[in-house]
Amino acid sequence: MGLDTFLQAVVSGLIEGSVIAVGAVGLTLSYGVTRFINFAYGEFLTYGAYLTVFLAGGLFGVSLPLPAAAVVATVVVGALGVAVSRTFFEPISDRGALPLLITSIGVSFILRNLLQGWVGVDARQLPIPLLRRQDYFGLFRLTHLELGVIAASVVTMLTIHLLLQRTMLGKRMRATSGNRSLAKTAGIDTTSVIRQTWFLSAAAGALAGVLYAVLFSPFRPGVGFEYLIVIFAATLLGGIGRPYGAMLGAFCIGLAMNFGSTYLSANYTRAYAFLILVGVLLLKPEGIRGGEF
Amino acid sequence: MALLTGWAAFVVGVATIACIYGLLTLGLNVHYGYTGLLNFGHVAFFAAGAYAAAILTMPPPSTVTNASYTVGFNLPMPWGFPVSLAAATLVGGALAALIGATSIRLGTHYLAIATFALAGVFSDVLVNEAWLTNGSFGMNSVPKPGQAALGPDRWQLAYLAFSLLSLLAVYLLVERVLDAPFGRLLKGVRESEDAAKMLGKNTTLVKLKSFVIGGMIAGFAGGVYAHYIGSVVTAQFVPQVTFTVWAAMLLGGAASNTGAVVGAVLVMTFEESTRFITTVYDWMQATLPDALSGLLPAIFGPLPNNPSFIPSMRFVIVGLLFVLVVRYRAEGLLGDPAEIEALGEEEGSE
Repeated sequence: MGLDTFLQAVVSGLIEGSVIAVGAVGLTLSYGVTRFINFAYGEFLTYGAYLTVFLAGGLFGVSLPLPAAAVVATVVVGALGVAVSRTFFEPISDRGALPLLITSIGVSFILRNLLQGWVGVDARQLPIPLLRRQDYFGLFRLTHLELGVIAASVVTMLTIHLLLQRTMLGKRMRATSGNRSLAKTAGIDTTSVIRQTWFLSAAAGALAGVLYAVLFSPFRPGVGFEYLIVIFAATLLGGIGRPYGAMLGAFCIGLAMNFGSTYLSANYTRAYAFLILVGVLLLKPEGIRGGEF
Repeated sequence: MALLTGWAAFVVGVATIACIYGLLTLGLNVHYGYTGLLNFGHVAFFAAGAYAAAILTMPPPSTVTNASYTVGFNLPMPWGFPVSLAAATLVGGALAALIGATSIRLGTHYLAIATFALAGVFSDVLVNEAWLTNGSFGMNSVPKPGQAALGPDRWQLAYLAFSLLSLLAVYLLVERVLDAPFGRLLKGVRESEDAAKMLGKNTTLVKLKSFVIGGMIAGFAGGVYAHYIGSVVTAQFVPQVTFTVWAAMLLGGAASNTGAVVGAVLVMTFEESTRFITTVYDWMQATLPDALSGLLPAIFGPLPNNPSFIPSMRFVIVGLLFVLVVRYRAEGLLGDPAEIEALGEEEGSE
């Protein structure tokens, strides 16, 4: 267990952190404007991964190349997110956070089990070849796919950053998140902002699901729901509702999980994510990054 | 006595499971209905109780095939039974105290996530610590107290009677405790923690007590369950259990103990009945006149033909139950709308 093992744990932590980051940013964006924790969010990951498998595997008549399948799946799941919001959450959006939270549990059950009833519980995987890890500078080893996952995550983070800071939608989102009634008074169509945010949130979730599936195939219909704990940990660690905090939190959680499984025991990866979370909640409940986004 | 068959066996089985879920729902209702604590990890206390009972009463590992557990205290039945249930109750309470000590101070949403995740971690422990729990293979020789003396049929009935009595006892106990000043204190904390603090109450301690009481009830339910099924396997203790109990509580009406029991009976009857869907289908197909024999396959033919279809649809309906109850009847069947308002349902988002 020398420097080599250590560096490899860092690299693995950063790779998994990239996946978690995409997922955590999506969850935190929707919290920012809706103010409830969406327990159905894990299903967006699951649907993203499954839809990509189906699109790439020719289930709908055509088999798209993997990147194209991933993009189509991301957009479709984004639209699904809007539909879910309009069907289940908008009708009770004036009732406070608690009914929304409880409803999201129900929605997660509906989505997950509809998929499971349709495709069964058998494990699936993306059509990707087994790749040998390449040596980089004699320090750590990565496959091209892992590099691709990191690149996709970085591009997503940058896109979301530019979207929030440089576009009108980002401005409206930030205004709605900061104070919804004030935003409404200022003439912002908050309903439309919320729908657009749902699209982004669900699409980010789907992309996280695809990236997860690239790294950790095979998977089953419960995959997103099970990974929810990890995404929650990153989201809360970063301070919920704060995209930059979520990104930071995601890398901390990714590193913690991989250090834990390298040096302690590989059976408890979720527990490492969670112990860090509980520690942070107790010491600094607002998360590691305060301030508005 | 004739073997319990057909409907009788089904009804006895459902009734026993419904009693066990009734206990679980009463426990959750102490947390959520009375104290406003969002516990999304209820299954952990249930599992803790079931495993405590199993470890105390399982025969030593040397006498069991596929044993990787190292401790089985082999308490003799029937006198080991009350000891085992008492231990299940205590372990459920102890786990609640442990989880509560770390998380009970958190705000509602954070508590929901903390309990949900801690239950996930606890189930990882159950799967991985095979020396204690026999891993995912499970502990499959938990004694059914009195079965040898009574025979399988009479034992089923006797155990149902015992489960009913347990449910009644816990129901009365919870009603009694929550009618006392302590119950009003819980509701006070639920409605305004600040006001309770102003009156000099240690609200964290009050919430912790509520959490431990509900955890003990769930632990007890775990013990009753372990000795009824006769085996304890990690696959039985999944998050679905937590949310089935939630569905029962919401359907019956949060903050109503009668509602909790009624909700549990309804949800469990529904879940267990869905087993017969294929039987009913075959029967309908057989009784329909020949001219109509193409009708059913034409209607149901396009549905996916995989074995998890019907079990999955069962949980789709449980999910719909959450959505519909919250949207159209937040007080459930027997709840009091004022109580739901006090839970913060209608506080408005702004």
